[in-house]
Amino acid sequence: MVGMNAHDPERQETVSRRTFLFGGGISFLFAGIATRLYQLQISDHEKYLDLAQENQFNRRILTPLRGEIIDRFGNVLASNRKNFRVLLIPEQARDVDQALDRVSKIFPVSIEKRARIMREIRRRGTFTPIEIEDNLSWDEFSKINFDLPHLGGVLPDVGETRDYPFGEASAFVIGYVGAVTERDLAVQETDEQRVLLRQPGFKVGRDGLERTYEDELRGEAGEMDVKINAHGRVIEELTDDATPPEQGKTLALTIDAELQAKATEILAVPGDRMPDEPQSAAAVVMDTVTGDILVMASTPAFNPNDFNVGINPDLWRSLNDSPYKPLLNKPISGVYPPGSTFKVLSAIAAQESGVSPKQTARCNGRVWYGNRYFHCWKRGGHGTVDMKGALKHSCDVYFYEIAKTLDVDVLANVARKFGLGQTFEIGVSGQQRGVIPDRAWKRQYFAGQPENQPWFQGETLSVIIGQGYVTSTPLQLAVMTARVASGRAVRPRLVRAVGDIVLPAPDAPLIDINHDYLKAVRAGMNAVTNEYGTAARSRLEDPKWQLAGKTGTSQVYQITAADRERGLAEPEDLPWARRDHALFVCYMPYENPRYACSVVVEHGIGGSRAAGPKAREIMRAVAEKDPASRPTIDPNSLAQRRGTGVRAG
Amino acid sequence: MSSLILPGRRRGLREKFTRLHWPLIILLTMIAGAGVITLYSVAEGNWQPWAMRHGMRFGVALAILVAIGLVPVRFWMTLAYPIYFVALAALVATPFIGEIHMGARRWIELGGIQFQPSEAMKIGLVLGLARYYHGLRADQVSHLLYLIPPILMIGAPIGLIFIQPDLGTSLLLGATGVVMVFVAGLSWRLGMLGIFGAVAAGYGAYRFELLKPYQIERILTFLNPDRDPLGQGYHLLQSKIALGSGGLDGKGFMEGTQSQLKFLPEMQTDFIFTIFGEEFGFVGAMVLLLLYLAVILIGLSIAMASKLHFARMAVIGVVVTFSLYVLINTGMVMGLAPVVGVPLPLVSYGGTVMLTIMAGFGFVMSAHVHKDQDMMRSSELL
Repeated sequence: MVGMNAHDPERQETVSRRTFLFGGGISFLFAGIATRLYQLQISDHEKYLDLAQENQFNRRILTPLRGEIIDRFGNVLASNRKNFRVLLIPEQARDVDQALDRVSKIFPVSIEKRARIMREIRRRGTFTPIEIEDNLSWDEFSKINFDLPHLGGVLPDVGETRDYPFGEASAFVIGYVGAVTERDLAVQETDEQRVLLRQPGFKVGRDGLERTYEDELRGEAGEMDVKINAHGRVIEELTDDATPPEQGKTLALTIDAELQAKATEILAVPGDRMPDEPQSAAAVVMDTVTGDILVMASTPAFNPNDFNVGINPDLWRSLNDSPYKPLLNKPISGVYPPGSTFKVLSAIAAQESGVSPKQTARCNGRVWYGNRYFHCWKRGGHGTVDMKGALKHSCDVYFYEIAKTLDVDVLANVARKFGLGQTFEIGVSGQQRGVIPDRAWKRQYFAGQPENQPWFQGETLSVIIGQGYVTSTPLQLAVMTARVASGRAVRPRLVRAVGDIVLPAPDAPLIDINHDYLKAVRAGMNAVTNEYGTAARSRLEDPKWQLAGKTGTSQVYQITAADRERGLAEPEDLPWARRDHALFVCYMPYENPRYACSVVVEHGIGGSRAAGPKAREIMRAVAEKDPASRPTIDPNSLAQRRGTGVRAG
Repeated sequence: MSSLILPGRRRGLREKFTRLHWPLIILLTMIAGAGVITLYSVAEGNWQPWAMRHGMRFGVALAILVAIGLVPVRFWMTLAYPIYFVALAALVATPFIGEIHMGARRWIELGGIQFQPSEAMKIGLVLGLARYYHGLRADQVSHLLYLIPPILMIGAPIGLIFIQPDLGTSLLLGATGVVMVFVAGLSWRLGMLGIFGAVAAGYGAYRFELLKPYQIERILTFLNPDRDPLGQGYHLLQSKIALGSGGLDGKGFMEGTQSQLKFLPEMQTDFIFTIFGEEFGFVGAMVLLLLYLAVILIGLSIAMASKLHFARMAVIGVVVTFSLYVLINTGMVMGLAPVVGVPLPLVSYGGTVMLTIMAGFGFVMSAHVHKDQDMMRSSELL
């Protein structure tokens, strides 16, 4: 049987035929393979070459260092420090969950954080590196680096983060930076900027000068092509064609950081009668010649360092809910009735209306006008006072008498000439204008209520002592004081130089008013502190730094007869929020003024008691240092600082 | 043994040596040489860890090829069934005594030597089927009753390898068996029926979750590579990028950026054709493909020249296996076939496959050297 089979020619023929067929089939399939090869390597060569380049080369954006912010003497207020962080390139991690699992063996990655990372991946795409965690300790960072071979797609990175060495003391002036939002991206003008802003961990100015000078501080992004392998690891940096990033411009301020810190400290000192009460206060110190703001302090404050790493929600809530408003920049955003500090301007307006400083009025504690009594703060009265005496003792009746005939528009006009009711170009947003009432203002304010539109003379009696409709900010009060002291329309400024361009001091023309009027007012202010006036305690002993000032106590709540019946006699008996604001404005030296200062202590009860001493201590510190007499930092040395990435210690 | 060869017709070893198919040996050596230089390049210009051993293994495998080739083909015919059944027994034993590598139980260890019974079965099945068809008349080939033994012979090892699990090898074995049955003369009508049955079986395997998730994944990814560009499809895309960017004349030896930068997985094994194609371009890849085609066509010509039916069928079986390797691997790296883990014969790094292929060509060589053996004697022999 086998032998028979062996001779089977039919079988051999079949096999040969089929073998031939098979050979043909194989050749055909080989032709198919060759065709495919041709398609890939010849027809689509360009396309795959591009993809290969994309694979291999990666354009890295070189993030610029943010410009520093320094004070008038070069002390660093905002700089950059190293930030050890870990990024994730989802495309290279393949399995993001697994990568995060591995990372979480080194430092915890919370569920919320995972959710955020997933969100960002969806939003930014899988090719953009996404920050897993920043501000890692060196220990964690080195562990990540050690485990790197097992952490596909994980990229350790040394970034920069903002550092504010003065913390809370400089919070409101400098502001802070925050993470980039969609809106930030939308307002960028160029794609380059958008790409830069999408860099992981990139921050933009959120508040204060950080926000206003964002464009100058941001700097110019650099670019570099890098050769990477499949794991995203950089094999080679192609430095020849790289453009280095350019650090943002340095912002040199008029602020004296030391005095700023000192003033913040002084503001926070609790009042003698209520040691447990936090001080919600503001202080501004200005150069009366140049307008340089040396101090712009506000308490309580937040720490901007808590903000640039992403503030924790509990802290944010407690800041937001606090009655002491730690998020409010009180020197420019806090509006207060100026109270008796306004009498400085009332006295000028009175002279403008023909009242002689020698003219006297008799104060017996109250004045009947219209249908009611207007009380002097001093029950029983001051007796006969002239203008100087009225300022010295802050006699209300004297000014009521003047107010009976004073045109409120004249008063408002003087107030505006001296800086109230307006904002200034200082580069920090959130300035309030306050209110300087006049006839036009009232018409507009009561637009819907015609019966309230006419000005009633009785209202002038309130306005003249800084009550009623009139409100102002501590900055405006400082400007007012500086203008009274110098006779010039001094304008405040915060920024001295941007990069190596020194900004000229704004011109301060003589105020269009009879300057003899000012002399009388200055004499009154001098009497307040140096001739046993209302702020005798705020006198500076050094004759070189003779301090002239004016107290102010602005009423927040009027104690009623009913309150008195309930036994509520002293202001301390009132809840904090109903107590009077305490104010004090001053300048020095009396003869040749250089520094002006305003202090407001919210609900501090009395200007002479709460605000005056703080102003005196601040001015004492200013006098000791006399910053205006010292040379400020040379702009050329600013240029040298750039690019070196100087770190604050 | 001497009874196998008639007195006076016994050839001296020296004479047999001259009768070896030297062009085939040279072609195989050239292909292996392409493997050595590519492995040298993959290792960034190092002989270690692959290139040197690949070359040495080829030397050993070539010696085995020649040794097998010098032994009369009828001797191999007598051993055909024993080899098949030993391989089958080893496959049966694998689930119990096998080593687990990369999630699959494929290896067993005998006397300190590790081997994969599934590889041995590639030879066993070819020899077994060849031996079976040697004993059939032309009219019996398409007879349903005579179709049962080959179906069992093919089905048993496929099932055993499939559960290891090793989809690539079971498909390869199945395809080899089917092609052999077809070449042996199966009627077209039955052939069509068989194909239909295979498709149904495939659907059943999918339907009843006989495939591992990763196997389904591979097939789905093959059907639509853009489905998951970072998972399975990622490798394929990278492979296409590497090949495509190679262009007409390639990026040059050791200049393949995509491979050198490790964008490709399994560069020394499954994706080695990609690296070769990236560095030597369309021209180089075509030369390599033509070398393979030449080997295949020489193999088929040897089959047709053989007078012994066993030899014919065995040679065809070896060539079919070899062809499937080449087609599936090259098709796979170019996105024409699913990524099933089939190496490129003689070029991919890996000792077992090289040994299987070269041993297989040993039988081809034996058939060639002894092609003129008298048919009558084969009947005396049995």
